[in-house]
Amino acid sequence: MTARRAGPLTRIALAVALLLTAAPVYWMVVVASRTSAEAADVPPPLLPGGHFAENVRRLFANPDAHFARGLLNSVLVSGCVALGTVLLGSLAGFAFAKLRFRGRDALLLTVLATMMVPVQTGVVPLYLIMLRLHWQDGLQAVTVPFLVTGFGVFLMRQAARDVPDALIEAARVDGCTTLGVYRHVVLPVLRPAAGVLGLLTFAQTWNDFLWPLVVLSPDDPTVQLSLNNLATAYYNDYALMFAGASVAVLPPLALFAVLGPRIVRAVLSGAVKG
Amino acid sequence: MRRSTPYLLVAPFFLLFLAFGAFPLLFTLWMALHDWELGSGTRRWVGLGNFRYLATDADFWHAVVNTAGIFALSTVPQLLAALVLADLLDRRLRGAAALRVALAAPLVTATAAVALVFTQLFDSDHGLVNGLLGLVGVPPVDWQGGRLASWTALAAMVDWRWTGNNALIYLAALQAVPRELYEAAALDGASPARRFWTITVPLLRPTIVFTAVVSTVGGLQLFTEPTLFGAAGAHRMDGGAQHQFQTVTMYLFESAFGQDRYGYGAAVAWALFLLIVTFALLNALVLRRRTGGAR
Amino acid sequence: MLRGLAAVALLAAGCAPGDGRTLLTVDLFGEFGYERLYREYEAAHPEIRVRQRRISVLDDYAPRLRQRIATGHGAGDVVALEEGLLPAFLRRPERFVDLSAYGGRALEPYFLPWKWRMGVAADGRLVGLGTDIGPLALCYRPDLFARAGLPTARDAVARLWPTWDAYYRTGLAFERRLPGVRWLDGPTAVFRAALLQEAGRGPGFTYFDRSGRLVFASNPAVRTAFATALRFERARLTADLQVFTPSWQTALRRDRFATVPCPAWMLGGLAAFSGGRGRWDVATAPGGAGSWGGSWLAVPRQTRHPARAAALAAFLTSPHGQVAAFRARSTFPSSPQAARDPVVAGSANAFFGGAPTGRIFGAVAARVRPVYLGPRNEDVRVAVDDVLLSVGQGRLAARDAWPRAVRAAAKAAR
Repeated sequence: MTARRAGPLTRIALAVALLLTAAPVYWMVVVASRTSAEAADVPPPLLPGGHFAENVRRLFANPDAHFARGLLNSVLVSGCVALGTVLLGSLAGFAFAKLRFRGRDALLLTVLATMMVPVQTGVVPLYLIMLRLHWQDGLQAVTVPFLVTGFGVFLMRQAARDVPDALIEAARVDGCTTLGVYRHVVLPVLRPAAGVLGLLTFAQTWNDFLWPLVVLSPDDPTVQLSLNNLATAYYNDYALMFAGASVAVLPPLALFAVLGPRIVRAVLSGAVKG
Repeated sequence: MRRSTPYLLVAPFFLLFLAFGAFPLLFTLWMALHDWELGSGTRRWVGLGNFRYLATDADFWHAVVNTAGIFALSTVPQLLAALVLADLLDRRLRGAAALRVALAAPLVTATAAVALVFTQLFDSDHGLVNGLLGLVGVPPVDWQGGRLASWTALAAMVDWRWTGNNALIYLAALQAVPRELYEAAALDGASPARRFWTITVPLLRPTIVFTAVVSTVGGLQLFTEPTLFGAAGAHRMDGGAQHQFQTVTMYLFESAFGQDRYGYGAAVAWALFLLIVTFALLNALVLRRRTGGAR
Repeated sequence: MLRGLAAVALLAAGCAPGDGRTLLTVDLFGEFGYERLYREYEAAHPEIRVRQRRISVLDDYAPRLRQRIATGHGAGDVVALEEGLLPAFLRRPERFVDLSAYGGRALEPYFLPWKWRMGVAADGRLVGLGTDIGPLALCYRPDLFARAGLPTARDAVARLWPTWDAYYRTGLAFERRLPGVRWLDGPTAVFRAALLQEAGRGPGFTYFDRSGRLVFASNPAVRTAFATALRFERARLTADLQVFTPSWQTALRRDRFATVPCPAWMLGGLAAFSGGRGRWDVATAPGGAGSWGGSWLAVPRQTRHPARAAALAAFLTSPHGQVAAFRARSTFPSSPQAARDPVVAGSANAFFGGAPTGRIFGAVAARVRPVYLGPRNEDVRVAVDDVLLSVGQGRLAARDAWPRAVRAAAKAAR
């Protein structure tokens, strides 16, 4: 079996696609490294300038953006949610894949069904629940409800199916408890898929906008809300806003640069299709 | 193994889902049957009053049309482009792996950041898009003011984010297609375009349906992009003075959190839920028939 | 764990004094000019620390405050209530501390009588102490006026527009001579100012009568004011912008409009947001005395330090506090004693060409008549703004504007 060869037309088309993908990010960096006056120049600047550090300084000094706080909050929240999703998802996934218990299939079907529920539907009462718990304006509100998802459980269950049953039996014979089996046998096999799930969850939480906007206060924001603070409070100082956008984009993108190839392989092998 | 262990392992998911997923979903319905205000403390049973009002609420239907319009404008080109991209990527090429990663990267970039950048690109006065259009003699477009224009700008943001990702999903499906099919078709003298429509598309049918349904669920909840698109103007949840790009979720947000009408906001949320289910089913049905037609 | 982390973060940010002092939080929006007053208060009261939580946009501030007040959790010890928000909060006065329990009654002589009365709830509870009021003037660009061949001295400029009609006709002439620059920033201020002028002269209320019934369509004051604002939109005399939004700030820096109907509190923003660009001056506004905006300070019932919070609110709204706020941000005092203070009365604002802002705004303030605003006032205002803006953008025919506004108002007030 041989793959088709890429002809010149294909190469040109792919180059255009790559250009379209990269252009907005490139433009963001150009403007973020210029003065705000240069950003509005005609014709527009096409190369990055030397003001990036200065713009970032202005960003962190800005009294309305609360950018440092937003960055710290986002790291905390995204990290906790990603960890929680991987941990709780892999435990449940392991149970669904390798343990026999009554009602297992029905429960797994329920997990799948929960993936179809759009978040927005529950947002109004969820907010009232947060008020009742006195969680509004606090990081718990954007963390606890999302510590595990149906997607996470399902993805981990698919991956855990690859664990050979013989290995599990052998571990049991050696006296491992169920948790011991999880730790010593299942977890090592799950690691690649767990990395994918962790990154996707981190990025998703990092990028979340609606729910933080509802439940957090602008003076104790996530990084996306910091961007929103900039966009709603200031004259269009694009150098400042794009410096903020650059910083906000960076952490997930850096993670993706490291884990990206593995994720793409996972997608291509059909693991992330739902 | 103790009998309870498996249940303990799956319990966290179900507990969290019950508390923060299922319960709010049902509670939304309960709230929607009330006039529910925080400011005045009102909580009055109105039965189906909110839904009756909703049925004749021109602003709500306006938002529905906007949402569906942006959705159509973004999804159709997005899925087509992703199909073509996947077909192009399914060839021998140096640096293919890196290229795939690059094309998927937009998915992890922050939506808010992307929205800020695109909003500036589509600025009516100083935006690059109008600048480029000017080079080929097209007069400047008022991207925020026009209904169709604003939909187009928003669709561009959505597509930038999702096209590469969908292309990868299609590529995954494509790689399962036996190469012999293409070789046989090529020997029969079928043009590349014909091979694309008669082999690639039908074989990818289940995947296409899957991506269309996922796009529907996401697209009909569109919020971040239009909110930031209108952030520089007045009353940003309005989506422009004529509400030209106000989506259903923005209307929900404004009704509940902005105007302190939580009961009505809950009714909008349920209507949105039904819309999503309807659209997703409709899409699945139509696509199943369409893409299957070639067989 | 998260709670722990959050607590650590809070401590690291210096938000919880570990030194036994009482922390008082002040919630406010926009610019109140209180920063130096806090330091002064802390110096005089070593047992107190003051923290300010400021949200720049009123539309972001309002829902959060409402939720915090309603749930009895999370609000500051002292909160600012803007004139459009006050009526809604006064429906549930029991959610606020009655300031008369902490000596508030004795402060009455220090406030304009109408400002004082508006801070008192129907049940007699003293909820809010007045901060500033919004006497209206007209800010203009002498440099652009000179290029359009108009007079530039503020007395001569004021004579150009004794009425809104004269202001309108001057605008037509201005735009003919200087195309590319709009006459004013947006319709909101004209509508609001004309509405309050008409309502002050006539019924004393605007969209809602004193029983809370929507009278948008039947109140002649609304109809007249709407027609006034609509003329500006139909003739494309405004840049269709909303005060202080990023688009407005950008247009300000790009010389896109030549005049701004400006309440006193807007001067600080104009100076800050223009980035030193262009020359500005202040003249009297058309149509007699108008006002827009102004706030009160209140102490939510949920505070753990009612006496100390009440004392801080009294300090910030005292004549001394109001003079300091005027000096910092040009917010005009609601206290006659403060308004008579030489710092206010004799002030000249350097950014506005040395204009005697204290005298200009003081003259208006003395003639402002209070107007009743209903609980859904803000929702109606937003809906009607959108209608006016749509006309200016050429997307709604002027003859359809009034019926559209009536429908939108009815919906917003439902």
